[in-house]
Amino acid sequence: MHFIAKEIDQYLNQQDYVDTAVVPLLQLDLSTNGMKPSAGASEYLQTLTALLEKQFKGRILLLPPVSYAKIANRQRIADELSEELQQTGFKHVFYLTTDAEWRTIESLKNVLWLPAIPIEDMDQSFKKSVMEDQLRQVLPLFMKEWSHHS
Amino acid sequence: MSNNRVSRRQFLGYTLTGVGGFMAAGMLMPMVRFAVDPILQQHEGGDFVLTDQAVADITEEPVRVDFSFEQTDAWYVSEVTNSAWVYKEGDKLIALSPVCKHLGCTVNWAGDPEQPTQFFCPCHAGRYEKNGQNIPGTPPLGPLDEYEVQEQDGFVAIGAVRDNTLV
Repeated sequence: MHFIAKEIDQYLNQQDYVDTAVVPLLQLDLSTNGMKPSAGASEYLQTLTALLEKQFKGRILLLPPVSYAKIANRQRIADELSEELQQTGFKHVFYLTTDAEWRTIESLKNVLWLPAIPIEDMDQSFKKSVMEDQLRQVLPLFMKEWSHHS
Repeated sequence: MSNNRVSRRQFLGYTLTGVGGFMAAGMLMPMVRFAVDPILQQHEGGDFVLTDQAVADITEEPVRVDFSFEQTDAWYVSEVTNSAWVYKEGDKLIALSPVCKHLGCTVNWAGDPEQPTQFFCPCHAGRYEKNGQNIPGTPPLGPLDEYEVQEQDGFVAIGAVRDNTLV
């Protein structure tokens, strides 16, 4: 489900079934040279999470991307987010990101780091098949997590 | 020159009728236009979308067929890609919606290795028969929706979604 008011109504009624939150973590780089790769990474991450939401609509709540500056303290973001998510009923939380710095943060579980693929120049059908390949790499990680603790 | 001279009274009468007529038309035309508007509306999304899946390649085993169309959401136009599970029942084409009737996940044919002849929803292990009938005891409460489907020049064309007519 998306983080929009209408679907949150549905979520609140179906909390037993929607037990997984997905948080995209997005680094903003607005320097002249960094802007384009940063925008590309954002496009990639949001396309991927949208596809993921379509596949698992009834079990995940896709939160809007958490965007932060290059210099942001990742540890602090991690702590604050986990604290916020702790008071919810989610049994599983996944963080998806293209920012390699998250790999050094030990306290977050289930951080899926994916190298961003520049998809902006691909034509529609090629982009689709690339993104579906990407999705196929992520899906088993969710299935595995669910089958472990369900 | 005609001998019928128009009197002042007749002239005023003609003029008023003419002007009044225009005013009445000016008021009535929009009303008539509003009244018939539903008939003139174009039906968006009701048309068939041609896919690149050849009908000849469809067997009795459901395959996923993707189709894209433009969706207008208020002022925001986006290209949406949906898919359908298409198979042949005898000579008849059947297209089922992949949207699980439980909470809207995407179901897969033979997604569960233990049930190779059923649709499987990975979210909460919902299962459906090949014709879309939900299997009792699994979370879904109704059968999968069906798409209108037809053959256009040898390719599959997918139309509007409707309730399942097979079960």
